[in-house]
Amino acid sequence: MIPRQIKTLTLFGLITAILLTAVSIYAIEDLPAFGDENSAVNKHIKLFSVDAAGLVDSLNAGILPAEIKNKTEEMGFIKGPTCPGCQNENYPTLEDGNYKIEYIPQGTWMGGRFYTDGGWDVSILEGEIFYNEFQQYYFIKESEGKLIVYRYNWPVRVSERTEEETAMINSVTSGLADYRGYDTMGEETVILTGAIGVILLVRRRGRL
Amino acid sequence: MTPEIKEYKRDIIIEVTANLMFPLILLFGLYIMIGTGGTGGGFQGGTILAAAFIFYITVFGHEKGREKMPESVNALFKSLGLFLYNGAGWICVLFSLAGAQWLNMPAFWPVTDYVGVAGARSFLVGYMVSVGIGLTVMAAFVSQYFDLAWKEDEEMEGGE
Repeated sequence: MIPRQIKTLTLFGLITAILLTAVSIYAIEDLPAFGDENSAVNKHIKLFSVDAAGLVDSLNAGILPAEIKNKTEEMGFIKGPTCPGCQNENYPTLEDGNYKIEYIPQGTWMGGRFYTDGGWDVSILEGEIFYNEFQQYYFIKESEGKLIVYRYNWPVRVSERTEEETAMINSVTSGLADYRGYDTMGEETVILTGAIGVILLVRRRGRL
Repeated sequence: MTPEIKEYKRDIIIEVTANLMFPLILLFGLYIMIGTGGTGGGFQGGTILAAAFIFYITVFGHEKGREKMPESVNALFKSLGLFLYNGAGWICVLFSLAGAQWLNMPAFWPVTDYVGVAGARSFLVGYMVSVGIGLTVMAAFVSQYFDLAWKEDEEMEGGE
């Protein structure tokens, strides 16, 4: 049997395939873990901080202090037009009975999210006009005598932070190619593989 | 049994219209594909580019279409698109000296110096990722159309 000579082009193809395999393995290893709190989807947005004096007891009792409530409304998180001629904003009002406050200790794994810091979850209850389902909305953390108020990410990231973070007016493009870039890379690979499969099945010519 | 051979009739109206429309459709495809502010993206723009080539092949026949889009160029585009996308990921790793993650776009420092972190992401997404997707989609569509449009008698001539 005569051993087949390895052509230069075949060698290049082999090297390319090995490099692509290495890239794929690297990409899989490099993905942020599910529930990673620093990944783009799970990161909290910091709103403001207030002095903690006397407010912790109120939070533990399940009542949102008036300071935090007023400050969120000053920032524009209220239902109704924030300026004359504006459209109504869909933020929930924080009236008593519309929300629930729950203390979550450090190290809890809940709802696909790992809490590296303990804090108070402010959730919107069912029956709110714009938020019909139970939803975590604010997260309050105590640190060095201050209460830091965060907002949960998903509604914030898409509607408010897209342009600031990615300089794109179009939030769909940023979602497709930036926040979910790995997904789109896989889609493109699927298209290339499908095209190669069609060539192998359908092409009936001797040479390319 | 020999199939009837129909004589190929040229139609001056269709050919002139196709010649006029072909570059305009290509331009429209590029407009859809490049940039981040528009309503389109790589997939849509690539499909429009492929539609331009398919239009041309339908009018002028696949032999003249082959001159517009040779098989070598087609195969090059098909893989170049994926390499552009992966290259956008590699650029971030290389320019940060392996400090940043794959596709971690703010690490593209020559661009971040001029347009900022957000601008670097926008640049990579708008000009590398979208164009890469578009090239792959276009080449895949056009190559499938060429394969399906191939006739039997030409296969006998050119085969083996």
